[in-house]
Amino acid sequence: MNAETGPTGSIDVQLKKGVLGLCVLALLSRGDSYAYEIASRLSEAIGMGEGTIYPLMRRMQTDGLVETYLVESPAGPSRKYYRLTQAGQDALIIQRADWRDFSDAVNAILAEPQAAAATSTEDSQ
Amino acid sequence: MTRVEFIARLRSGLVGMPAATAAEIVADYEAHFADGAAAGRSEAEVAEALGQPDRLARELKAEAGIQRWRQEQNPSAATGAILAVLGLGAIDILFLLPFFLGVLGTLFGLFIAVIAVFIAGGFVMVVGPFAQAPGGALAAILAGLGIMAGSVSVGAILSVFTVWLVNATVWFARLHYRLLKPALEPQSAPPASGEV
Repeated sequence: MNAETGPTGSIDVQLKKGVLGLCVLALLSRGDSYAYEIASRLSEAIGMGEGTIYPLMRRMQTDGLVETYLVESPAGPSRKYYRLTQAGQDALIIQRADWRDFSDAVNAILAEPQAAAATSTEDSQ
Repeated sequence: MTRVEFIARLRSGLVGMPAATAAEIVADYEAHFADGAAAGRSEAEVAEALGQPDRLARELKAEAGIQRWRQEQNPSAATGAILAVLGLGAIDILFLLPFFLGVLGTLFGLFIAVIAVFIAGGFVMVVGPFAQAPGGALAAILAGLGIMAGSVSVGAILSVFTVWLVNATVWFARLHYRLLKPALEPQSAPPASGEV
């Protein structure tokens, strides 16, 4: 029933899915931006489908993390910009710290498997 | 896929949403195509990078349904949110359907029972005094009022539970969004499974 979600492929997707929101928060903390720019930055960096940015931005808007405003454009219709709300900035601080703790822990485990295994056996003795 | 084709499929996927919201979403994707063209990309390239319009539409619809449920907690919004979330395929409907129908049926039955008890309480209060109820007219009125108040409080507890249940469903579904997956992964041959 769920054959397309292979046990090997799903980790990658789940990881990306989890950090997409954090990446958007981080990008917006450096300056307001519009969806196309965010999408192209993220699709280059972490290989995410550009279309998913819109559902994600709507969800973040629903959650009160971002808000929009329109900027008149010299050519064509006005452009919709996103900026972080106070809740968004708070969320970024918390999630960034969580992510660093988590990735440090994972890196530590990945880096020296033998050393880690040796210390753990020493500890148990 | 051309821009026109993509937008048409997106639009047909958004049918049922408030017109203003749907128009806003379509404008988002139109702007995306315009920005892509400005960056020198072809319509086909942009459409390819965007992913499948039907899936995007379903996800956007679910998000709008959830948003409405947060703003107005009424039966219609609840139904909308649950249907939209089910449309995602985030919840395995076949697996959960018996459970879901059981819970919904029970809730419905309880609500009906509460209403019936309320009416019965009103009946006791109004008719009791004339029907020579045991304990006299005052006792009958008080008993009727008591029954009505009791049914109202049970109804309130039921409502709180129903709201909680809908929230739990939405939360669960969001946790299990499968929709991001196909858009995240380039459409490629499925990986050979079974090898570790």
